[in-house]
Amino acid sequence: MEQVSMEATNPNPSSMSGVAAASAAELLCCANARALLDSVDAFLFDCDGDKLIDGVPQTLDMLRSKGKKLVFVTNNSTKSRIQYANKFQSLGLSVNQDEIFSSSFAAAMYLKVNQFPPHKKVYVIGGEGIVQELQLAGFTALGGPEDAEKRAQWKSNCLFEHDKYVGAVVVGLDPDINYYKLQYATLCIRENPGCLFIATNRDSVGHMTDLQEWPGAGCMVAAVCGSTEQEPIVVGKPSTFMMDFLLQKFNVSTSRMCMVGDRLDTDILFGQNAGCKTLLVLSGVTTQSTLDDPSNSIKPDYYTNKVSDILSLLGE
Amino acid sequence: MATKAAVSVSVAASITAASSSSSKFVINTPHRFLCLKRLSSFSSFSASALAIKCTSISNCSPNKSARSMEGFTTRTRASAQPLENASELIASVETFIFDCDGVIWKGDKLIDGVPETLDMLRSKGKRLVFVTNNSTKSRKQYGKKFETLGLNVNEEEIFASSFAAAAYLKSINFPKDKKVYVIGEDGILKELELAGFQYLGGPEDGGKKIELKPGFLMEHDKDVGAVVVGFDRYFNYYKVQYGTLCIRENPGCLFIATNRDAVTHLTDAQEWAGGGSMVGAICGSTQREPLVVGKPSTFMMDYLANKFGILKSQICMVGDRLDTDILFGQNGGCKTLLVLSGVTSLSMLQSPSNSIQPDFYTNKISDFLSIKAATL
Repeated sequence: MEQVSMEATNPNPSSMSGVAAASAAELLCCANARALLDSVDAFLFDCDGDKLIDGVPQTLDMLRSKGKKLVFVTNNSTKSRIQYANKFQSLGLSVNQDEIFSSSFAAAMYLKVNQFPPHKKVYVIGGEGIVQELQLAGFTALGGPEDAEKRAQWKSNCLFEHDKYVGAVVVGLDPDINYYKLQYATLCIRENPGCLFIATNRDSVGHMTDLQEWPGAGCMVAAVCGSTEQEPIVVGKPSTFMMDFLLQKFNVSTSRMCMVGDRLDTDILFGQNAGCKTLLVLSGVTTQSTLDDPSNSIKPDYYTNKVSDILSLLGE
Repeated sequence: MATKAAVSVSVAASITAASSSSSKFVINTPHRFLCLKRLSSFSSFSASALAIKCTSISNCSPNKSARSMEGFTTRTRASAQPLENASELIASVETFIFDCDGVIWKGDKLIDGVPETLDMLRSKGKRLVFVTNNSTKSRKQYGKKFETLGLNVNEEEIFASSFAAAAYLKSINFPKDKKVYVIGEDGILKELELAGFQYLGGPEDGGKKIELKPGFLMEHDKDVGAVVVGFDRYFNYYKVQYGTLCIRENPGCLFIATNRDAVTHLTDAQEWAGGGSMVGAICGSTQREPLVVGKPSTFMMDYLANKFGILKSQICMVGDRLDTDILFGQNGGCKTLLVLSGVTSLSMLQSPSNSIQPDFYTNKISDFLSIKAATL
């Protein structure tokens, strides 16, 4: 495991005010695509949603052949990086697990860079992805999916026990959320001195199924905020923890990174706040008219229809 | 005194106005029915509804220190005084409002000296009211609990947050053809039923499972006009999604919280994650703030003041929690007495980080008997 040391800081941004772009977003074309490619060493792709579609595998191969580093960013904590890599493979995308930055991985990395003691344990409200990443990083994980069927007892003289060695609680999306887990996490945070409260992300809803939106990690995190009266350290977007981690890992400045995404208020703003170049794709939730609307103040550096335009515009 | 009278009158007017309003139900938009930040100190009445103002709609996590609301005069309070002259306090008020957990009982055990104290107060002609944020039981069920513990308390004297939710819906003329989705326990269901409202959800949805598979669609009843959220030991993702869909997709759907207590003493041995947790979850998925009917919101205080025709200045609120009971009393303009028989210790009261100062504090309510005796 690589050693990444950096100052332990709370990566939560205090405000989300966007950096005002000097000019309007430029439509990606042959000339500026080449300029973009020359000015950037790493491309960060948001993979929440269905943007990684037609023509993408060839685009990724081309970028790699030009020595560009690729990072696939997702706030979804249910899978580990290995599981995501496998999922990408099944979709015809050749992606290495080291190119994936999932919020499950982010949580484990946060503990690592902040020197979380190995004799301490981590209680997880979330899926297998978080548990696996913690274990890969050498930490002891409690809870997770195995607490899905546990129930609390309400008798007098019957104490709800919790492990006093839990030094951090990690909360992410958990469709198996129940009272037992909430109570366990609450006791750890309130009673174990110095226990950290970490959130993989705070998205309120997400498209867990194709037909409708479902409550996201933001729901489970807010439940724990409600019982502990504490705010969590957020490691996923739009927190800058991931950016800081990548800067260290790639040894590039953010101005040599390009964030590619379909959401203005998360992907693009996130990239701008970190000082990256930004490329909006119109193959997701944002349309041309939303981008051009006078009420929209978030202007990416570039915009294009879909990711594979990068390949076709370069005529490769 | 004129001001106090005016307040009572306007409370009566607002409650009557709400209940005798036209048959057309005006469902207020979420922005009109604002939120209650857990530790905000305020209360104001509009003539049209028991709307409660709030400072900001941001995230759901409350601050630890109480803040004053815009437009509400901050009063720097003197430090709490130990109760030395119980007779004087007793003589100066007409009604005592007691919190239950940590004041009357702890879990299922009665606190020492409670029956004699209540009897003494009654013998002095004092009105006794019991207000609890615990929504798991209806007032009838609480009446049984009091009876089991050997206490002489009438159901009409009990105001649980389960009752408050139903009373609130009644006060705004919530239409009988609309439904209420409940994320909470039996007490809420019983009170809604008594008030004549149709409900869905509650404990039986605790067994429902969902499978996040392609092609799966969760349906929800389009006639749900309010989601009531409270303490729920059968909390699960199904309920969160159901409540979320109603709030996000049913036009004008209300989001009501019985209370936002972070922790509660379900058993006398330890703290348990409270209603604030379930409410927080729904705030997290809907990005909306609820209308809170339990303490420290003054809804229950206004309701009972109106019901019994009493002035706030004639009330003493007795409780064991600073950020619910005492703040509730202060928001309502009553005298406040903190007892140390529950969750708050003397050091917590006197800590520099605590800004909520009750008028008085004492160990437990039976001190009314011993202190009184000492002054004879």
